[in-house]
Amino acid sequence: MSRIFGIDLGTTNSLIAVMEGERPQIIADPQTGNPLLPSVVAIAPQGEVFVGERAIAMEPHLTAERNGRIHAIGFEGGEAGAVVRSAKRYMGLGGDEVATEDRHRYSFADFAGPVVRFAVGNRTYTPSQISAEILRALKARAEDALSEKVERVVVTVPAYFNDGQRQATKDAGRLAGLDVVRLVNEPTAASLAYGLHQMAEGRVAVYDLGGGTFDISILNIKGGIFEVLATNGDTHLGGDDFDRLLVDLLLEDLPDQMRLDRHVWNSARLAAEAAKKQLSDHDEAEMTLRLPDREVRKSISRAEFERMADALVSRSLERCRMALADAQLAPADVDAVVLVGGSTRMPLVRRRVAELFGREPLCSLDPDQVVALGAAVQAGVLMGSTGSRGDILLLDVVPLSLGIETMGGVMERLIHRNTTIPTSVAEGFTTAVDNQTHVDIHVVQGERELAGDCRSLARFKLGPIELQPAGVPRIEVTFLIDANGILNVTARDQRTGREHSVDIKPSYGLTDEEIERMLEESIDLGEQDLEQRMLIGARNDAAQMLGALAKQLGEYGSLIQADERGRIEECVSRLEAARNGTDRAYISALVEELNQLTTPFAERIMDYAISRALEKKSVEELS
Amino acid sequence: MVQCPSCARPSEPRLTCLECGSPLGAELDCFAALDLPRTLALDPRELERIYHEAGRRVHPDRFATGTPAVRQASLKSTALLTRSYRTLRDPVSRGRYWLELMGEKLAENNKGVAPELAELVFDVQEQLGELRETQNGSANVLAAAVKERRGELEELVARTQEELERNFARWDGRAGERQELVSGLKSALSKIAYLRTLTRDIDRALESVTAH
Repeated sequence: MSRIFGIDLGTTNSLIAVMEGERPQIIADPQTGNPLLPSVVAIAPQGEVFVGERAIAMEPHLTAERNGRIHAIGFEGGEAGAVVRSAKRYMGLGGDEVATEDRHRYSFADFAGPVVRFAVGNRTYTPSQISAEILRALKARAEDALSEKVERVVVTVPAYFNDGQRQATKDAGRLAGLDVVRLVNEPTAASLAYGLHQMAEGRVAVYDLGGGTFDISILNIKGGIFEVLATNGDTHLGGDDFDRLLVDLLLEDLPDQMRLDRHVWNSARLAAEAAKKQLSDHDEAEMTLRLPDREVRKSISRAEFERMADALVSRSLERCRMALADAQLAPADVDAVVLVGGSTRMPLVRRRVAELFGREPLCSLDPDQVVALGAAVQAGVLMGSTGSRGDILLLDVVPLSLGIETMGGVMERLIHRNTTIPTSVAEGFTTAVDNQTHVDIHVVQGERELAGDCRSLARFKLGPIELQPAGVPRIEVTFLIDANGILNVTARDQRTGREHSVDIKPSYGLTDEEIERMLEESIDLGEQDLEQRMLIGARNDAAQMLGALAKQLGEYGSLIQADERGRIEECVSRLEAARNGTDRAYISALVEELNQLTTPFAERIMDYAISRALEKKSVEELS
Repeated sequence: MVQCPSCARPSEPRLTCLECGSPLGAELDCFAALDLPRTLALDPRELERIYHEAGRRVHPDRFATGTPAVRQASLKSTALLTRSYRTLRDPVSRGRYWLELMGEKLAENNKGVAPELAELVFDVQEQLGELRETQNGSANVLAAAVKERRGELEELVARTQEELERNFARWDGRAGERQELVSGLKSALSKIAYLRTLTRDIDRALESVTAH
C-alpha cells in the first residue's frame, strides 16, 4: 500500500511532506528547490490551469515596458481568464457570504448560491476546485521528486474551520483524485511537530497566525498524548488583512475607480506585502506604485505600521483569552507558547503574544513549514509507523457548538464547543400531530442563542414515519462528529429498531452529485500524468547518458579496448532505438545496463585525469 | 452478544474484543465503557489514566487503514469512551448520571431555590438588575462588585462540590440506605446546579455590559 503524505493547504503557501524514517521531511520542488508552493491558481481563457509561481506571473498587475511606459497585463477575470489567490478564504462559504471588500477582487458568478463560484468566461470554478488544483500540483511535485505514487493524504485545516469549510476541504481532495484519510487541525499538527522535535511536555499554547486564518489552541501534552483543551480563532484574520492596511494607505489618494482596478490593486498589494516583510527587520519601508500617469510613493515607519496593525493583533489576543477561559487556565498556567504561520514573523505579534502569556514564545521550527511537518507526523501515526513514537495519540476538539433549531427558533446545544472528538450524542424525536409522516430537523453550528444567528449546517427530513397518533413515534437521532470534525447523522426507530435513512441537504457547499459531475468533467489524468512524467524523466536520463558517452568516446577513445567498445556500441544502438518509444521501464533498464558497461571505462578516465594532473603538478614543482 | 467486526467472534458487549483487541462498537453505559464498577467516588487521576489507555486501543487513528466496519466500530467506541469520560470526570454530572442509572431523575421542579440559598440569590439578582439598568460610568463600579460576587459564588460551588465528593465515599460504603443516599445526592446536585446557573447569569450580564 502506498504511503500517506501530509499536506498543509495554506492560504498563501502550500506544502507536502512525508515521514522519512522517524523524521518528517518537506518535499521541495525538484526543479527550483522551493519547499513552498504559492497557493495561487491561474485559469487561462481556454481553461488551462497554472499553479504557483507561474500563476503569480499571470496575476493582473502594472508593468513597465522597455520604453518606460506603464501598462496593465495579466488575467483580470471573466473572459480574460482569472488568477485566484487565497482561495482558502472562500472555502465552504455561500455566495452571500463573500465579504463586501472582497467582491470587487474577482469576477463571481453570483452572490446567492450555496457555493462561491469564480467566473472565467462561461465556466465557473468553486473554491474546492481551485484548491484541488493546488493539491494536484503538490501530488505531482512529490511524485516527481520521489518517483512514487501519492494517493492517500492527511490535509490540515484551521482549527476554527466549521463543518462546511472542512467538508469543502475534503471535497477538494476528492476532486484532486486523493483519498483524504484525515483532516488535522493546523495548530495541533504544529504541536505534533514540536512534540516530536523537542519532546515538549506540559501545557502548550499554539498561536497560529497564517496568511488568512488565525487559530489558538491550548494543549496538554503528556506521555505521547496530545490533548487539546480548548481552541478558538477567526477564519478571516491573517497576513492578508495586514497587507490590506498598507494597500489602503498606498491607494488612499486615488479615485475610487482606480482603487478598484484589479491591476492597480494587485500591484499595490505586491508593494504592500514587500513593505510588511521589510518592516519585520527594518524601521522603515517605502512602497512605490507606478501608474501610467504618475508615481505614488509612501514611506512608513515600523511604529506607524504597528499602530495601524494593533487592532488586528488585539483581535487575535481576545481569542486567546477566550480559549484560556474555556480551558480554565490563566495565561501563567501555560508552560510554553509556540508561534506558527508566516505572520508571526511580525515583531508586534511576537511582543504582544509574549506580553499576554508572560513568556517568550518558541519559534525554533520554521513557522512556514511546521504545520506540514506535523501533518506528515500524523500521516505516520495513521500508517502505524512512527517508530519509537508509535504511542502518539491525538485528542482534538470540535471548535464550535453544534445544535438543532427548536420551537421559537432557539438553538438547542447538543455538542458543546471544545468537546473531545470523536463524540456523539443521541436525541429523541417524535411527531407533533397525528399521522405526521416526516419530522424536519435543522442543524446549526455556532455559539449564539438563536438558531438564526448561528450558521446553518444542514437540514434533513426524518421519515417516512408510520402513521400514528402524535407523540407516539420514537426516533432516536445520533449526531456523531468524527475525527475530522465533520458531522455524521444516523437515525433509528426505537420501537422497531430499524435504521432510518437520513437525507441530508447541506445548507452550503456542494452536493455529492455535483462532486461526481465535476469529477467526470475533469478528465482525471492523474495516473496517466505520472507515467508520462516518468517517461520524460527516463528519456532525459537516456539523452544525458548518450551525450556524455559520445563526448568521452571522442576525447578518451584510446582508453577503451576493441571488444569493450563493441559491447558499448551495441547497447548504445539499442538505447538509441528505444529512447523515443514509450516503454519507460525498458529505457530505464537500458540506461542502467549502459551505465554498468561503461563504469570501468569511466574509472579509467578518472585515473587518467588524476595521473595527468599529478604529472602537471610535478612538472610545475620542478620548474 | 455482539459480533467483533474484526475477527467475527461473538463477544459480550464491551469496549474491545477479548480475542483480538479490536473495538466492538457496542453500546455500553459510562461505567462499563471505562470498565469501572458503578461507584460514586472515583479518583480523577486514575480515571484519566484508564481513559487514555483505552483511547489508545480504540481511537480511529489506529484503524485508519482498516475495513469500513472496523473503522465504524472504532468511531463509535471512541465517541462512547469520550462521552463516558466526560460524564464521569465531573463529580456533578457523575452524580446525575448515577441517579439516572438507578432509575432516579433529578426532577425539573428541583430547580427551586434551596432555602439556605434564598437570600444569596435575591441579592445577586438585585445586583444584576441594577447593572443592567445602568448605562453610565457607575456601571464599572457595579460590574466590579458583581465580579467580586462571582468569585464568592465560585468558592461556594467549590465547597459544595468538595462536600459532595466527601459524601460519595460514604454513600458508596452504605449503599443499603438508598433513600438517604438518593435524597442527599439530589439536594447537593440541585444546589450546585443552581449556583452554576447563577454564575452563568452573572457572566451574561457582564458580557452585555462590556459589549456596550
